[in-house]
Amino acid sequence: MIEVKNLTFSYGKGKQALHGLTFSVKDGEIFGFLGPNGSGKSTTQKILTGILKGYGGTVDLLGEDVRNVHKKKFFEKIGVLFEFPYLYANLSALDNLHYFASFYPKNQRRDAEELLDELEFKKDFLKKPVSSYSKGMRQRVSMARALISNPKLLFLDEPTSGLDPAGAVLFRKIIEKERKKGTTVFLTTHNMLDADLLCDRVAFISDGNIAALDTPRGLKEKNSNHSIIIDYLYRGERKEQVIEAHDLKEGVPYIYDELISIHSQEPTLEDMFIQYTGRGLA
Amino acid sequence: MWNEFFGLLKKDFRLMLSSKFFLLALGSFVLYSCYINFVYVKLDQGIYPVYLYDPQDTKSITSEYVARVGSREALEAACADRYSVGIDLSEGKPELYLLASGLETADYYRMIWGEAVLNGTADGQAEVIGADNKEMKSRREITAEFLFFELSAVGFLGLASMLFKEKQMGVIRVHGILPVRRSMFIFSKLLLLLVSDLVFAVVLTGVNLGFSYAVEVLPAVLLQAGILSLIMALVGFLCAVRLPDFKQFSLFYLVLAVFVTTPVFLAGQTGIEWGWIIYHPMYHLFAAMKSAYFSMPAKSAPYYLVCFGAVLLLFLLACQTLNREMAKEG
Repeated sequence: MIEVKNLTFSYGKGKQALHGLTFSVKDGEIFGFLGPNGSGKSTTQKILTGILKGYGGTVDLLGEDVRNVHKKKFFEKIGVLFEFPYLYANLSALDNLHYFASFYPKNQRRDAEELLDELEFKKDFLKKPVSSYSKGMRQRVSMARALISNPKLLFLDEPTSGLDPAGAVLFRKIIEKERKKGTTVFLTTHNMLDADLLCDRVAFISDGNIAALDTPRGLKEKNSNHSIIIDYLYRGERKEQVIEAHDLKEGVPYIYDELISIHSQEPTLEDMFIQYTGRGLA
Repeated sequence: MWNEFFGLLKKDFRLMLSSKFFLLALGSFVLYSCYINFVYVKLDQGIYPVYLYDPQDTKSITSEYVARVGSREALEAACADRYSVGIDLSEGKPELYLLASGLETADYYRMIWGEAVLNGTADGQAEVIGADNKEMKSRREITAEFLFFELSAVGFLGLASMLFKEKQMGVIRVHGILPVRRSMFIFSKLLLLLVSDLVFAVVLTGVNLGFSYAVEVLPAVLLQAGILSLIMALVGFLCAVRLPDFKQFSLFYLVLAVFVTTPVFLAGQTGIEWGWIIYHPMYHLFAAMKSAYFSMPAKSAPYYLVCFGAVLLLFLLACQTLNREMAKEG
């Protein structure tokens, strides 16, 4: 679906943004692209979406070199959710969706009302102007805009930003549903939970280089010290012991009256990011 | 393709409505028409008063424009307004006395007028040649000027404010990934603005010249209005895309109004003569608009070629600028 080889890009002399990225994304995969501000995430996404030209290396999307694609047909196949909900504030949710949908072939379009319903958009606001919506509602309309053309390849930039926890869960479900339909998802995010729960594989990008690329689980396992913390009660006293994972083979190697908790000491994805790049995600 | 274009047109029309573009145009129309009908057509310059000092009563002048004075001092006092013309016949030979008004041409006309009154050859009424009387001449003149101002300044601002709204909402970025040609995005705005400017030109001309007179000049006026509208809309589009915020745009607008449009009005409307003004492109557009209102012969082919070239060049520049902006913002 996406095949990137030795991708380089510079905004001018001494402003090299990308230093030879190489990665691929399979059909139906959710690929996480994580990096701090200024790391080259947006530049990569702009190149992948055909907006930015003048790059080095090769970028194949949907089996075609992005440099030579027929723009109209290419844009018909992709959907993009931007970091901020860019919508016409004077138009309603439905008018916005009808307008943006009008550029896609009729047989490809999804029903705007059904889509908004799926995104649990408040029906009372369907015909009210976007200027009266909350951030979460705007984000829902934006997501609907990205999905309205039934894209084969979906670029999502911070999809759960501005949503309450229930909204974030709903969005994750919808992204999962899209993947089940066969849609490939390129997810750019700062949200480690989203990346951990959704992505099949993640790439950590730092200063225009890929610092690590693996499944979230693989990254965590690779860097785990395989220790386990056991919290238990013995003779009325609460105790905590750290053991190696393989020590658990024969059961808990301590005498106890009651087990309170067993925690594996697996690092988080954020720990991994800091370890690989030396920088936080802020 | 037509469906997409119709979608763009519909959206732009709604954007124009919500940005009060038509309200602004209506306001301009009412303001211009009121000024033309209630003020401008009634404006007239008073005839230069002529004062005669003739102690020997050598000249028997019965002209209604002459007032006799009793002394040289009285003559000088009467002419102190730098408008009146004095004739001193105390030495037998007529001597014209007038204080400079500051405008060489006006002083020259004052002198001729004084001589004509003295010789009894002035009747104070100009001969009307052709169908235009003074009122119609005034109407054509001021309508041309207002239309030029509306298209070059207000229309320019209207399109830019619409585009700034889209920039502010961020939707221009979304158009970067839509399966629609960017040229269509510009073209739909241009078309809407052109149509609204042409409608404005028809209504302004019809109401202020009278529809029977308007019919004669409208084809030429619409052609010039179309050229000016396209050029200014494209310049407005370019500025709105390139400049980061409305504050900077306002500053640019001020520069445009003061340094670009004002010299054209001054050279076209007052006695100020600037040789360099012929190199000012807006001057030619202004002159063409005035010629159209006075049914003067149409401009030559090079003028239209240059206009066509300018529109084409500006359109290509606008496409390129929009592409760059989308890449930058997208």
